[in-house]
Amino acid sequence: MPRTSDPLRLPETGTKLSARTFECMGTVVSVTFADSPAAGQETQDELAAATAVVERLFRELDETFSLYRPASEASRLARGELTLRSASPEMRARYAEAHEWRLLTAGAFSPERPDGVLDLSGLIKGHAIREAGRSLLALGRRDWCLNAGGDILVSGSPVPGSGAAWKAGIVDPADRHSLISGYALGGVGGHAALATSGSAERGEHIWRVDGGSDFAQVTVAAADVVTADILATAIVSGGMAMLNLATEQWDVAVLAVHADGSLLATPAFRRQI
Amino acid sequence: MKARGTLAAAVASAGILLAGWQAGTQAGGASTLASGSNTTTAGSTGSSGTGTSGAGSSGSGSSGSSGSSGSSGSSGSSGGSSSSGSSGSSGSASSGTATAGTYQGAAVQTRFGAVQVQITVASGKITDVTALHLTDDDRKSIQISNRAAPLLRTEVLAAQSADVQTISGATVTSNAYLTSLQAAIDAANL
Repeated sequence: MPRTSDPLRLPETGTKLSARTFECMGTVVSVTFADSPAAGQETQDELAAATAVVERLFRELDETFSLYRPASEASRLARGELTLRSASPEMRARYAEAHEWRLLTAGAFSPERPDGVLDLSGLIKGHAIREAGRSLLALGRRDWCLNAGGDILVSGSPVPGSGAAWKAGIVDPADRHSLISGYALGGVGGHAALATSGSAERGEHIWRVDGGSDFAQVTVAAADVVTADILATAIVSGGMAMLNLATEQWDVAVLAVHADGSLLATPAFRRQI
Repeated sequence: MKARGTLAAAVASAGILLAGWQAGTQAGGASTLASGSNTTTAGSTGSSGTGTSGAGSSGSGSSGSSGSSGSSGSSGSSGGSSSSGSSGSSGSASSGTATAGTYQGAAVQTRFGAVQVQITVASGKITDVTALHLTDDDRKSIQISNRAAPLLRTEVLAAQSADVQTISGATVTSNAYLTSLQAAIDAANL
């Protein structure tokens, strides 16, 4: 009997996953490490130390960029107490990056709210995950999965050395306790990042451009987490035109859920028969 | 005071916008260049690789003759080397001044299946590039387009929450996390 190739099937091993979580940026960040079965207390200490590095990185970015913190640099910019010219290099770099994304997405992604206030929150979480991933690699960790409120970046494998992919489930927007689909991340030649945006998240915080879309939820898999995150947001905002732009211009896989629950997907999300 | 700050911010944004626009334009140019060099790579692979289909048929003829002259080689290895030798001769012929004709590159595995490129050379210039094979493992022709298409729920990759290591969804708040699937997975791995 031929084995059906199921990219979401994981080989049975004694590998243990260890997870640490912390709260930041209004959500919960999960850091998951894959260890060999022999891993002992030393590894547990290493995990705690590595997670502390990730947490510090998230907190520092949040302190600079959060509009929920009155004393943050972003809040001072929003109030006009500070100009971009005198802003920190970090702030200006992210502002430039966000503006580049606005151009690349033909305005579907914007770093400014309709009232003109600079809001880089659409970029900062992805940026934080990206930087956290770099830190983990710099610490010599190869097999891990970072998840910040549903945006994911992986490295290596949940079964170190096996080449097996990390399996990500994608929640059904109509019932967040069930999965609508799955996607294999990492592995050989696979996308390393997956991000999902919803029209209802944080009280409709994605601003729709005219025409808009009726996408209730959009998931994008890409090589890097900032691309995945921004394109997911841009497609919710920019609708079908942005979806087609994304699949033409970037190496991405997309699963979009219409408000009526029907699906649109690129071939990579199609079940192999 | 605030008005002045806003004005300064607007001027600064315009500056950065312009810088971003230039960066974007340059990136676009670079990607065009990259695809151009890709074509060149495919072309050079083609000329040094399998050679023309015409050379292929003449190659089988030359493999016969080299087989007869190759007294020291084993028949298996001389067969293998002679076939590459035939393409080598067509390659050397084309290396002087690119001979007009069509050349096929090696089949390359991509996310969309095996892809092979054929180039047409005339007057020392590549005049046409054609994708020859575009098949998946089952040798069915597949769509190279990555466009999203309507799918039934039963047609997308399925996943059970017990089988996944992580969960993607629209950003959950800290409160919503407590009752989320991700929280259950994290708890199981603590």
